[in-house]
Amino acid sequence: MRGVDALPAGAGARGRADGFTDWLVGAAASRRLLTDRFVETFESWGYGFIVTPLIEPLDTVAAGVGVAQQSELFRFMDSDGALLALVGERTVSVARVVATQLHSGPFPLRLCYAGPVLRHQPPNAGRRRESLQAGCELLGATGLEADAECIALAAAALEHGGVHDVQVDVGHADFIPGLLESAGLDGAARDVVLAALARRDLVSVEASLEGTDVADAERRLLLAFPTLRGGREILDTAASGLRGERPLRALRELARLWELLEAHAITDRVHLDLGAVRDWDYYTGPTFEVFSEDSGFPLGSGGRYDRLLGRFGDALPATGFVLHVDRCHDSVGRRGGIASAPAVLRVSWEADAESTALNLARRLRARGVACTCDLTAGAGGEVSVSATGARWPRDGRDETGSIDAAVDALSRSAP
Amino acid sequence: MRGLRIALPAGTLLEGACDILATAGVVQLHQSCFDRELSVAEAGSVYVKVRPTDVPVYVEMGACDCGIVGKDVLWESGRECYELADLRFGLCRLVLAAPRDSPLVNGVWPESLRVATKYPEAARRFFAARSLNVVLIRLHGSVELAPATGLADCVLDITATGRTMAANGLVEVAEAGVSTARLIANQAALKTRNELVGSLAASLRRAAAAQRSQGAA
Repeated sequence: MRGVDALPAGAGARGRADGFTDWLVGAAASRRLLTDRFVETFESWGYGFIVTPLIEPLDTVAAGVGVAQQSELFRFMDSDGALLALVGERTVSVARVVATQLHSGPFPLRLCYAGPVLRHQPPNAGRRRESLQAGCELLGATGLEADAECIALAAAALEHGGVHDVQVDVGHADFIPGLLESAGLDGAARDVVLAALARRDLVSVEASLEGTDVADAERRLLLAFPTLRGGREILDTAASGLRGERPLRALRELARLWELLEAHAITDRVHLDLGAVRDWDYYTGPTFEVFSEDSGFPLGSGGRYDRLLGRFGDALPATGFVLHVDRCHDSVGRRGGIASAPAVLRVSWEADAESTALNLARRLRARGVACTCDLTAGAGGEVSVSATGARWPRDGRDETGSIDAAVDALSRSAP
Repeated sequence: MRGLRIALPAGTLLEGACDILATAGVVQLHQSCFDRELSVAEAGSVYVKVRPTDVPVYVEMGACDCGIVGKDVLWESGRECYELADLRFGLCRLVLAAPRDSPLVNGVWPESLRVATKYPEAARRFFAARSLNVVLIRLHGSVELAPATGLADCVLDITATGRTMAANGLVEVAEAGVSTARLIANQAALKTRNELVGSLAASLRRAAAAQRSQGAA
């Protein structure tokens, strides 16, 4: 076993900040490739790529992340004393752009983005503070067709990126609040249950329902929360015995959404999950999360958020999603499926053959073959290319003829 | 498809965790199974013994699908896991306790209070609801010593029987929480391995209810 002394000396105290990552050769390329694949898919569905700033006014950013997460923002002061923040997600920036610059349409408006987001995390928690997100927003469309498009597009992007065996859990933000309302719980009791659900504490949900006069059908659904999950059939199971219009409307919307997802041919990887939502203040309709067995965290999430745009200007219905590129990259990497950077050929040359070598390298690159050219000459008078064993005399002619023929042969054999 | 990876807490809850898994018919494990190895594969699943405070870490990060851990650990962990079931064993209470001669014992709350605790998050939540000028002092063990040495006016600590507190001359002033063992699950595992996790939760719930009614009889 090699001792720790065999490791290169580190930078000591001048290392990186905790929670940040240097992406080195190979990993950086495959991460960029994955991002490109996502954006290519978005664009192939007609979503226009936009770039928004890394820094926004704190008020703007805070509108998108909810009270609980505002303390996670990196905040600082502008030269005039105004408070700024590094973006913790990018939907709110897109919403700001649309509300302030694209409000005259034409709608529906399809936009996509990819970029870093930053959030504070406790030290040594093993969580990233800077991560890469790619996402889409579909604005100005109220119908479930828009929600179905976003779910199908997220699935298509993951597939194009090589993120396989994903599972999409689709829920509805109005189902549980509607259920609690129609169950006759007063506002305070509803808030207790919703807060417990938001922190995933199902023991407290059960405890807070004890001693209340919640009707049987609603109580059964609330206690079965983690198992309210499956295909189209769970909607009928859930609806039986329910009288409230609000939860029933949510179930009807999910039934229609399921039909649309069938038309998109993706129901093989979709589950309906009536307990899937937690951000009830933010989401207003169908929502979804994407999971894979390779990751302990969701790879992506999205849903309808018809209230956000109104905070920046005219109200506008909106739906969209985000993919967590780094989690997707991890997930693909765990399967050994990261596409490696293309091999780079090395062109060596010997005295006086420099121009032949550089000419060969130029032609190789022009045909999409990556190559480096040695910076110093070897001995003799030939040009050679690594990994192929090909050699040329200095005048660029070999037995088979011109250098072009050789370039053709190399292009064909290049990895 | 692989079975579940389940994190069990070393220490006082390990025996109860093994018992309830056996009662539930999930797996026959005894805590001595972990004497030689920290990881035991049984009936298609893998059980790992880790420090109680590390259980939510393993589960949140997805290294384990599920875990059994005391609620007192979850108060402090700041990790996002589903809390699926109250397993009803390992009962202990979080109490505010003060020396016998403290005015607190007579219901007189001083304007400022120094509180020694191993549970700063639970303490912060408890005192946030009460307008007191509280200075929390985080300790990692033997909290009972803090008032006797003048480090703090009182303690906020876990007690099962109250004996340790009494032996150190401390009297319970208020209850700040009740803790029992909980089944927790990773958010992705709950979705991607829904049937396995759901059936584990259902079995353990039934066993917890059975054990409690047995204990009551």
